[in-house]
Amino acid sequence: MKQSKLSKDQIQKVGLSGIGFFVLIYVYFSFFLGPLNSSRGSMQATMTDLQGKLAGSKNEMMKATNLEKLASNATTRFAAFKALSQEGAPIAWFPPRMKAFFANQSIDKTTTRLEGSAPYKEADLSTWMRYNWLIDLPQADFSTLGTAVAALENSEPLLAITKITIRALPDDPQFQQVSLTASTAILKR
Amino acid sequence: MALHLNLLHEEILEQRQRQRDPLKLGIMFLSFIGVLMVLYYMWNAYQVLGVRSRLSQVQQDWAKVEPKVTAAQKRSAELNSIIGTTKVLDGMIDDRFFWAPFLEKLSRCVALNAQITNIDGAVLDDNRGVSVSIEGLAAGREPRAAAEELRQLLLEQLGQSYNEVKVEFKILEDLDTIVKIGGGNMAMARFSLGVTFNPGAAKPTPPPARAKTPKQ
Repeated sequence: MKQSKLSKDQIQKVGLSGIGFFVLIYVYFSFFLGPLNSSRGSMQATMTDLQGKLAGSKNEMMKATNLEKLASNATTRFAAFKALSQEGAPIAWFPPRMKAFFANQSIDKTTTRLEGSAPYKEADLSTWMRYNWLIDLPQADFSTLGTAVAALENSEPLLAITKITIRALPDDPQFQQVSLTASTAILKR
Repeated sequence: MALHLNLLHEEILEQRQRQRDPLKLGIMFLSFIGVLMVLYYMWNAYQVLGVRSRLSQVQQDWAKVEPKVTAAQKRSAELNSIIGTTKVLDGMIDDRFFWAPFLEKLSRCVALNAQITNIDGAVLDDNRGVSVSIEGLAAGREPRAAAEELRQLLLEQLGQSYNEVKVEFKILEDLDTIVKIGGGNMAMARFSLGVTFNPGAAKPTPPPARAKTPKQ
């Protein structure tokens, strides 16, 4: 039987071919296929992310549209509440407003003083401030006062009278001296 | 038996050795593998090009939609804030105590022989109720009875609208002063009433039980 033996030269060539093979494999995977696959992977991840966002966007926009319909009442009410707070510092416009209001109710000489202001604790009212006012009505008839207080409570929904003091005037028992402490919610401008 | 002479023996051997040359075989093998790798790489590159094209399409779609989505998200947040604020403000409005109905009830309770000189009312903190102090004068043959009548009437009237109504005398004392009402001299009493109540709606009174009628 014939035995084939590799010569030294042939062994060197086989070794060289083996090294060449491993170098080829390394170069192929490290510099060609690897970056290509990694680029494909990142593109697919980006695409999946964007497709997810696109699918979510339809839902998001539908939700916003539905919310818009549901919030129409709240939006209208909020606009009305906002309209109650005029531009500028409340101390500049609230006392004249009270004076005009009580003058319309036939109660003159109204004095309104600011007692203090504080932010609300509720997170939803972060853009609103609570103002406490002392409204003095030095001469008011009881029935006129009752009508005026009712009108005030109905026309100023964000105003709450927290304290009321009525004293009969000793010289003129038909009239009373009235003091109202009221708190109002006013939008920060 | 014929004798065969192979005169090309060396040439054939050389040819066989050339054919079995490991370098040549190795190069052929490597070339084959290389061709396979190139083909596989090209297939992958083709797929990557497809992914890139789809990604570009998706990016274009997203670029069109993104401003709308951002605007929708912003609007949603704004609307949620408006809804929350309106809810809290509505709660505050609903929890207010209205003084005008109370003053009206009070005015209905004061008879001609009584006069109220001082009213001090306050809404207690955390909506724990309302406290009112009422001072006044009552006149009559029995001025204390006139004051008591006022207290009873006040209790009854306030009980129709409010919960946990309490109307108690803090002071009730006779005065030496005599007043003339309707041509007659009347004694006077000074009183001070402490009124407390919860402004929540009064509990509805149960309807009176019907008396059973005997069957005929």
